[in-house]
Amino acid sequence: MMRKSSPSIKAKGNDSPLIETRKLNKSYVNDDVVTPVLHDVDLMIERGEFVAIMGPSGSGKSTLMHILGFLDTHSSGSYLFQGEAAGAMDDDALARIRATRVSFVFQAFNLLPRTTVLENVTLPLLYHPTIPVSERRERALRAIELVGLTDRKDYLTSQLSGGQKQRVAIARALVTEPDVIFADEPTGNLDSASGIAVMDALQTLHERGHTIILVTHERTTAEHAERIIHIKDGRIDSDTKGFKRVVANAVRSLK
Amino acid sequence: MLLSDTLITAYRGVTANVSRALLTMLGIIIGVGSVVLMSAIGASMQGVILGQISSLGAKSMVIFPGQMEGGPNSVGAGHDSLTFDDVEALRKLRTIENVAPVIFVTGTSSYGNSESSPQVFGVTEDFFLNQTISATEGRLLDASDVEGGKAVAVLAPDAKEKLFGSVDPLGKRLKIGSLHYTVVGVSKALGSQFFQNADDRIYVPFTVARTVSGQKFVNYITMLATENFDIAFDDVKSLLRQRHSIENPEDDPKDDDFIVRSSAQANDILGSVSLGLTLFITTIAAISLLVGGIGIMNIMLVSVTERTREIGLRKAIGARPKDILFQFLIESVLLTVIGGMIGMAFGIGIAFLAAVGISGLLSTYHFAVSMPSILASLLMAAITGLVFGISPARRASRLHPIDALRYE
Repeated sequence: MMRKSSPSIKAKGNDSPLIETRKLNKSYVNDDVVTPVLHDVDLMIERGEFVAIMGPSGSGKSTLMHILGFLDTHSSGSYLFQGEAAGAMDDDALARIRATRVSFVFQAFNLLPRTTVLENVTLPLLYHPTIPVSERRERALRAIELVGLTDRKDYLTSQLSGGQKQRVAIARALVTEPDVIFADEPTGNLDSASGIAVMDALQTLHERGHTIILVTHERTTAEHAERIIHIKDGRIDSDTKGFKRVVANAVRSLK
Repeated sequence: MLLSDTLITAYRGVTANVSRALLTMLGIIIGVGSVVLMSAIGASMQGVILGQISSLGAKSMVIFPGQMEGGPNSVGAGHDSLTFDDVEALRKLRTIENVAPVIFVTGTSSYGNSESSPQVFGVTEDFFLNQTISATEGRLLDASDVEGGKAVAVLAPDAKEKLFGSVDPLGKRLKIGSLHYTVVGVSKALGSQFFQNADDRIYVPFTVARTVSGQKFVNYITMLATENFDIAFDDVKSLLRQRHSIENPEDDPKDDDFIVRSSAQANDILGSVSLGLTLFITTIAAISLLVGGIGIMNIMLVSVTERTREIGLRKAIGARPKDILFQFLIESVLLTVIGGMIGMAFGIGIAFLAAVGISGLLSTYHFAVSMPSILASLLMAAITGLVFGISPARRASRLHPIDALRYE
């Protein structure tokens, strides 16, 4: 599928890694008290990967994802997205990246209340700078179809189950055809059956070529990914590939 | 984000909670409503007063006997300060013309079984010129009627209606007091003058009225200024003071035993009344829009806080700060403009009902609206929305996406 972005960025993006961080640091400052969260994170993620970032709460995994997803800014080091330095971007440039290149699936769904499934999925297209109004409906319907909710497209989000809500959120995340979809504990608020359905949906997206970065503290959820990065105390503790390594890693982390 | 998308988003934000939106708008509704109502009443009253002035004639002047202090009720009947000699003296002044004295005749009027008590004016032919009265049927009184002391009468339309109904009054004989008069004409409708119905009148020749009433004085005198009102005024005042032996170097009207009025003065009074009314309305508008605006700002701040997560989400999916700014700003302006329109509808509706009620008492009162006031108050409402919406909207646009998303 064609991605709509300016040719220069795309050309640069083709030979640069999707995501590359070097000595990425993040600390929060609160009343002169500096709380370091991330230390010298070096990370490279290529287009088409399905990466799980794991770690206990407070490890910095969510902060890392927010920085990678342009929701938060890093304190020092560098973050290159398709070769572009995130630190140099102003508010409008950040907004444009959020609108066109990245998208999010949140633990708490964050759907708009009192609006239908179709309207929620259409929402990101309102902020997309290049997708024309005439294509909105068709794109939204295609995204809804992909998560299997076509028969519920006119339901209000309050009429859906948790698993269905999260699939709406996934449809909303993929409607702009972003370069990468970030999922922050997408199964955290769901029962296991719904969680499996949501992970299957993400799996499908990955198989269709989408880059997916998942943050979770659940081993079973992380197992869907082909690469698992463990974060501990703000540092990358391990970066493993393949199912066996996943199991071995999980066993080790349980010790 | 396209403007149309921003508008739709803002509209949905307003309509998401209709009862709260209405309560929020209440200040604006009352503010704009009262301005529209007051200005409509003002426009109607202006019509009434303008009608009176034009019925008095553009250059017309009137002298009443009596003093300023007693108010309008002490004017006219009962005061004997204006004599026939005064009238003759006034006729010699060059700065005024058409000096037309009026004497009131008392007594019930009747025709057949119909009885009524219209005002009966003993007038000269000049009176009709001064007041721009014309005949709709028959003729007006002329010089020969007055000089010959003929028992003829001209009916104003309401008096004709009450006494004759659908009967053609021309040539019929009407009784006023103990004397019979032949009806020679019907005059055109005037509406009201000084809040009295000027159409429930009968005009008879001045000479007849003088004889019938036995009065040695006149009830009032109308005339026209030949050129300049101010000079005519001074001439009339100094002549009458001299004749009545009044020392009045201060030109204090309280010391005089007569009152001079002109349509120019009435115009001035109207001008100052409408200026006062405009200031009054502007004050109401300013206060109520200020109060309404504070209400709007309050609710918009609450709304921004309540919808922090929504703002966070919109930012996470690509909303620019200015998209959020415009969304909330337009929401605030929509609240005030919709409120303004509701207020306008209420104001016009109440003004219309009031006009229906008042026109029964004051026939020249017609429903009127002041378009400039309506447009100005709607514009002010929109500006109120902008001014009081800017702070909450800026707050929303500056929210950090991740903080907003985490907001509980």
